[in-house]
Amino acid sequence: MSEEIIQIETPFQFNEENKQEFDELIGRYPVKEAAMLPTLHLAQRQEGYITPAVMKYVAELLELSVMKVKDVVTFYPMFFEEPVGKYVIRICHTLPCALRDCKVVLDHLKSKLGTDVASETNLAKGTTDDGKYTLMKVECLASCDVAPVIMVNDDLYKNLTPEKIDELLEQLPS
Amino acid sequence: MVEERRILYEHLDVPDINTFDVYRQHEGYTRFEKAIAEYQPEEIADMVKDAGLKGRGGAGFSTGEKWSFVPRDIEPRYLCCNADESEPGTFSNRYVLEKNPHLLIEGILICCFAMGIETTYVYIRGEFTLGKKMLDAAIKEAYEQGYLGENVRGTGQNINIYTHPGAGAYICGEETGLIESLEGKRGQPRNKPPFPAVQGVFMKPTVVQNVETLCNLPFIVGNGVEWYTQMGPTYGDARFDPPKADPNTGTKLYCISGDVNEPGVYELDLGLTCTELIEVAGGLRGEEVKAVIPGGSSAPILTHYELDTRLDFTSLTLAKSMLGSGGIIVMNETRNIVDCLLNIMKFYAHESCGQCTPCRWGTPWVRDIVQRIADGEGRQTTITRPKFGITESGRWGDTGETEEIYEDLDLLESVANNIANVDTMTWNTICVFGIAVSWPAVSYMRKFRPEFEAAIREGKLVTLPVAEATVPPEENYAYQQRIIPKEMTDLE
Ligand SMILES: Cc1cc2nc3c(=O)[nH]c(=O)nc-3n(C[C@H](O)[C@H](O)[C@H](O)COP(=O)(O)O)c2cc1C
Ligand code: SF4
Ligand code: FES
Repeated sequence: MSEEIIQIETPFQFNEENKQEFDELIGRYPVKEAAMLPTLHLAQRQEGYITPAVMKYVAELLELSVMKVKDVVTFYPMFFEEPVGKYVIRICHTLPCALRDCKVVLDHLKSKLGTDVASETNLAKGTTDDGKYTLMKVECLASCDVAPVIMVNDDLYKNLTPEKIDELLEQLPS
Repeated sequence: MVEERRILYEHLDVPDINTFDVYRQHEGYTRFEKAIAEYQPEEIADMVKDAGLKGRGGAGFSTGEKWSFVPRDIEPRYLCCNADESEPGTFSNRYVLEKNPHLLIEGILICCFAMGIETTYVYIRGEFTLGKKMLDAAIKEAYEQGYLGENVRGTGQNINIYTHPGAGAYICGEETGLIESLEGKRGQPRNKPPFPAVQGVFMKPTVVQNVETLCNLPFIVGNGVEWYTQMGPTYGDARFDPPKADPNTGTKLYCISGDVNEPGVYELDLGLTCTELIEVAGGLRGEEVKAVIPGGSSAPILTHYELDTRLDFTSLTLAKSMLGSGGIIVMNETRNIVDCLLNIMKFYAHESCGQCTPCRWGTPWVRDIVQRIADGEGRQTTITRPKFGITESGRWGDTGETEEIYEDLDLLESVANNIANVDTMTWNTICVFGIAVSWPAVSYMRKFRPEFEAAIREGKLVTLPVAEATVPPEENYAYQQRIIPKEMTDLE
């Protein structure tokens, strides 16, 4: 994809706070490109997901081609190219969690939220109709001692059972 | 009963140890002060070498030796702290970051002083939001207190630490993948050589070191080499005459998960056995140990025959496995090894970075074979060979000898060995991710072959009793040659 082909409806720009953070970030590296991951994280936090406008903006900031930014965005599972729910629920399903019955927790989440599990190329599949939740499976979250675990946005929840999931979902502000 | 020896984790649960003041009250930064007051940078590097510190991140390579490869005449040099911690079964770095980040900063300072490094990047996996927040706060305090920034504590050296978030890719834990990712690219590992020590991040000499490795440095400097080497066994490498010392010194943050009563991180001297470790972790949850994964999911599995294996770098290497990241996963008699392998292979198939053909295609292929076996559709054929004997009609003739061939098991082994050959330890890939795939695949299949065969034969997953599921150690094919190393003191 070259710059000319991308149709951008509304251009993206960092808000004041993120602009400041970016200015601080860029000074850390001898080459601008190295600020790629932190910059994309900032942008995703502001916009919710990485839109073509975001990619164009980041490419301009870092003096790269949009292609290079896209290349990176597609490689890393934590960057979304589609809208996601207000709460992104990541459930770990690697061996230590599997040994502690993460499947029960996953099935419970699926039926409770009434959604399937998102895949990397189809996030809508795991997003509830009201756009509140996105459910996705992830690999080991480095918390196997308190398995099974999930992350809701930035927070980790440990030693889960279906009952604890019910409590947790009730507590989340809508 | 083995006792925990808490050194790195000693103050972990002290309230507010994450703040500068409380850390200071617990000997914080005194080791760094000692380093700059009493030693020359080269002396610190020698101490680390003499202490026999081995990298805790996976490869177990001697830290002092790695430092000696760094050309000291090329500026600038960098330190990358590997806090990507994504190996399934590993979770010790997380607690350091979240609870005691100043300890890591002190370790980094000592490394920077010893190697004359001005800039450190701490590559933290994207999911560690809390860990990053705590470390960032601690770094800010350290700047305010003059332990970071320009002319640190009057040494004339500038030291800066920056945290850098990852974004969910396991392969960015591999040192050159980490470097590529840090440079703002896809985290695809580089060909080696050149090694990072010579040409790393931004093509400059780079030391890549795990969080736990760096956290050992304050204690080596503070308490001395002699104190440090008393912990853990030192083996004699019998290939040399007289045997050369092969140290496994210090403590290890063993992460134990799976079927034990009290999973968690236990800090113990290197060199205790699997049985002892399970006991420390509150004993087995279940009746019998079926299998133990000793070093994160990449490590070859150990069977119940091998529970006396000592969990240190040398013993596990000689047992044809590895200590890796120290993530120990225990499985009891109710577990099905085919199912466990399937889980692990799904992980690797998802995480391959896609650069090398054998890994990109071979790993999903291995996963698909295991999936097929788990679904009860494993392929099997019966072949008939001519054999002379008395036939049904009572005459001499061809009685026909039949043999069951488990095609899919042969295929599994051949595909895995073509990614990386576990017998010759050669790989057809850029990074050792290839070995991390074929090691579990081949070792699970060889050591628990009866369970794989049963799944194919019966057309469904069958969990056999422990004694029947495992191939006995006499079958060298499965275990290769397992050697028990001799301690240096026994040899003298
Ligand atoms: C596929 C793969 C994944 C790895 N993941 C990690 C990791 O998450 N954390 C880590 O410290 N080392 C990891 N390593 C090991 C690093 O490549 C490197 O050896 C280590 O960071 C060096 O530090 P050390 O000598 O202090 O152990 C990984 C290696 C491979 C091949
Ligand atoms: S072995 Fe696999 S993970 Fe490593 S560089 Fe090759 S494709 Fe990537
Ligand atoms: S396997 Fe789930 S946190 Fe490690």
